[in-house]
Amino acid sequence: MTRLMGAIAATRFGLGARPGEINDAASDPRAWLKAQIRPDAALIPPGELMSSKQVLEARVDGLLGQRRSGEEDKVRPSANPAEEVQKAVLQQVQREAREGLQKEIEARSRHAAITPDPFAERWVRFWSNHFTVAARNAQMIGLVGPFEREAIRPHVFGRFETLLAASSFHPAMLTYLDAARSVGPSTVAARQRDVGLNENLAREILELHTMGVGSGYDQADIIEFAKALTGWTVGSPLTARLASLGMEAAGARAARGARARQAARRRILEQIGEAVFVEELHEPGPRKVLGIVYSGSAEQQAERILRDLSSNPATARHIAFKLARHFVSDTPPASATKKLEDAYLRSEGDLSVLAGAVIDLDEAWGAQPQKFKCPEELLISASRATGSQTTFGGAPRQIYVSLAQQPFTAPSPAGWPDDTASWSGADAMKKRLEWANAVSRRMVRGEAPTSFLDQALADLASKRTRDAVARAESAEQGMTIALMSPEFQRR
Amino acid sequence: MLQRLSRRAVLLAGCAGVLVAPKGRAATPDSRGRKLIVVILRGAADGLAILPKIDDPDIEAYRGLLVDRNAAPLSDGFALHSAMPTLAAMYRSGEAAFVPAFGGPYRERSHFEAQDLLECGEVRNVVADGWLNRALQRAPGGYSAVSIGPAQPLILRGDAQNVSSWSPAVLPEASDDTIVRLMDLYETDPVLKQALSAALGADMVAGGMAMDSMGGRGGPAQYVQQFEAAGRFLAQPDGPEIAVVSLEGWDTHTQQNQMLRQRLAALDNAIRRLRETLGEIWKTSALIAVSEFGRTVRVNGGQGTDHGTGGLAILAGGAVKGGRMLGDWPTLKAAALFEGRDLMPTVESRSIFKGLLRDHLGWTTRDLNGFIFPDSAAVPPAGGLV
Repeated sequence: MTRLMGAIAATRFGLGARPGEINDAASDPRAWLKAQIRPDAALIPPGELMSSKQVLEARVDGLLGQRRSGEEDKVRPSANPAEEVQKAVLQQVQREAREGLQKEIEARSRHAAITPDPFAERWVRFWSNHFTVAARNAQMIGLVGPFEREAIRPHVFGRFETLLAASSFHPAMLTYLDAARSVGPSTVAARQRDVGLNENLAREILELHTMGVGSGYDQADIIEFAKALTGWTVGSPLTARLASLGMEAAGARAARGARARQAARRRILEQIGEAVFVEELHEPGPRKVLGIVYSGSAEQQAERILRDLSSNPATARHIAFKLARHFVSDTPPASATKKLEDAYLRSEGDLSVLAGAVIDLDEAWGAQPQKFKCPEELLISASRATGSQTTFGGAPRQIYVSLAQQPFTAPSPAGWPDDTASWSGADAMKKRLEWANAVSRRMVRGEAPTSFLDQALADLASKRTRDAVARAESAEQGMTIALMSPEFQRR
Repeated sequence: MLQRLSRRAVLLAGCAGVLVAPKGRAATPDSRGRKLIVVILRGAADGLAILPKIDDPDIEAYRGLLVDRNAAPLSDGFALHSAMPTLAAMYRSGEAAFVPAFGGPYRERSHFEAQDLLECGEVRNVVADGWLNRALQRAPGGYSAVSIGPAQPLILRGDAQNVSSWSPAVLPEASDDTIVRLMDLYETDPVLKQALSAALGADMVAGGMAMDSMGGRGGPAQYVQQFEAAGRFLAQPDGPEIAVVSLEGWDTHTQQNQMLRQRLAALDNAIRRLRETLGEIWKTSALIAVSEFGRTVRVNGGQGTDHGTGGLAILAGGAVKGGRMLGDWPTLKAAALFEGRDLMPTVESRSIFKGLLRDHLGWTTRDLNGFIFPDSAAVPPAGGLV
């Protein structure tokens, strides 16, 4: 019985058991999980990975550096026109971004395969998916990995409002949901530069990150919130130019005006690649969102709205439901959602309290695995079960692509789906079988499929599955069947 | 290869219980050869940019640079984006039609909710099964359906089992013996059993198709392959009557001209390839391409557009009574816009879907009104589409 609870802790709450993990967890499964609620357990060492600021600076430097040296060259080599040089530099920057993404995926896969704090890592990935950014274009490729390390990991056991602000004001999110190029419609920049308001980030914060669709906000709230968010952008030479343009036209006079413009411009140039607030791009005036009027400091307007959204009961309900769906079943009982909702409200969005409440949910400890693993969970749990140091040869991209879940490429801001029907289509099953068939050849070096099954699932494996694995015609076939068994496909 | 396929077919017949294209249930005589291809353009495709109403007096002021200057004039003041020459030619030869102000009953602007409602055929609350799946449950013949892509879309989910999905393989296949053992292991697990047997059935049909091996979620580069795969399934003897293809990437908040041109060119190529792959069957086929909603009439701050309401439906195929614009044009006058910002839909999506199901493949109005699209008698099937 305790081995069963240990197996549930390691598979449903963790990322799949590593050899010996079920026994470690079995003596007190809930305490084993709760000991992982530590801020440091959610971090991974950055190693050689680049920060978002470094990525964005490299991009700007690549382009500007090239332009400067172009000016110095009095005699431009005819075989190398400036345009081609610039193209080559951009290609180089893009190549580095793609390599950076590959390193991010490898570091993250390796960490998931070996971490002794798998519940903390599952918790990180839940929030990372909640606040999805995706590598959908050249600009985003270099930012998605740093986003998870900078905006998500440090805050997953802190207050929800801190996490929400860290996500909303990160260069990756500002870029992904177009806020970086959203400008107050009545600002000088909007009038002179053919730019204007973009509602995307405001809408998705309300719909996906906080209150949830149909929970009481309307189109007018979205537009007001979008206006409050204007001014928040990513520091770049262009933002600096737009800011000084705004000040110039705002009638800052004579020498003092010029100095102020210079200072504003310098301030932004010092913050290249960081989230910055540029008042000249912000829609002036008070804003009214969900009946509350926000006046006063322009810079704090959006932050104050985020704080109020964090404490909105609809947000508590939305998050409680998503967590219950993730840890209990696709259709969790109302009792589970209610307990999490209460924990969220009582603790004012303290995510370490909420994590404890998830572990304490009796509804999440049933003996029958309810959740169909998404492809990434399947791959991670398989590598953990073999005690591997990485996810299959350190080059997991191809496998992820074929199983239709390449990390950091969720199809929409709603993130990867978290239900059985989305992942159990006929084609998905075929791909899983092909994968299991291919990796089983590599996994059977010295390990019997029956002991693999016991390490990975212990008492969760049914007699039917044990028999099918034991009776296989070869170790490879036994391993394929173990990986494809109903219990290993679920958690 | 042939021998291998037939061996697998025998295996399936022996142990699966669920076959993709059930044999021995012939299609009804009057629907023989008729095919329906449902294309979902995910992300809200901008109908006003794809098929601009170039004689609308307000379009210049609203759209300016987002109107394609080389769009091909068709009729009634509409012009088709210049990236779609095949579709323009189809319109002129009577094989394509458009619904320029098309929309579902949904009036909010969430992609995800709107797509779910579009696919489940409900007005307000999302349910777990799709309208095409419910249609299969009341099909007038032994119909089946296939979706192209790794995930089963909601429109085909539900109790009807004669549904499959397919995307290309990248890894070596498991042996037949392993499959038999797994099918046996899944005997007590209906979800996995159905998924695996449907996958094996789909594989038989697509076997040997030379395709780009990069499966997974498609960008424009894969539109052609997806349509070709759909065509191959439909063109099989006893192949399914219905194919669903999801094309992602239509959410053009920024840099719309560039994004849209690329996607429309890919879609145009894909439609041409579908016609080639279907061969003679194209003459009795109908394709409908729809999006969850349209986009704002005004251009936003990033040379893009935001989530709107009224959108575009594209009909194509030899069975379609083409060369026509269907439904009224609501105009872009300020007073005619929905909430002062979006194109007002004049044709309800369900009327078009119901019209196609009834007149192309023979469903009864009664099933359409009550079961397939529940409580929808007030939105009667549109007549004369095919």
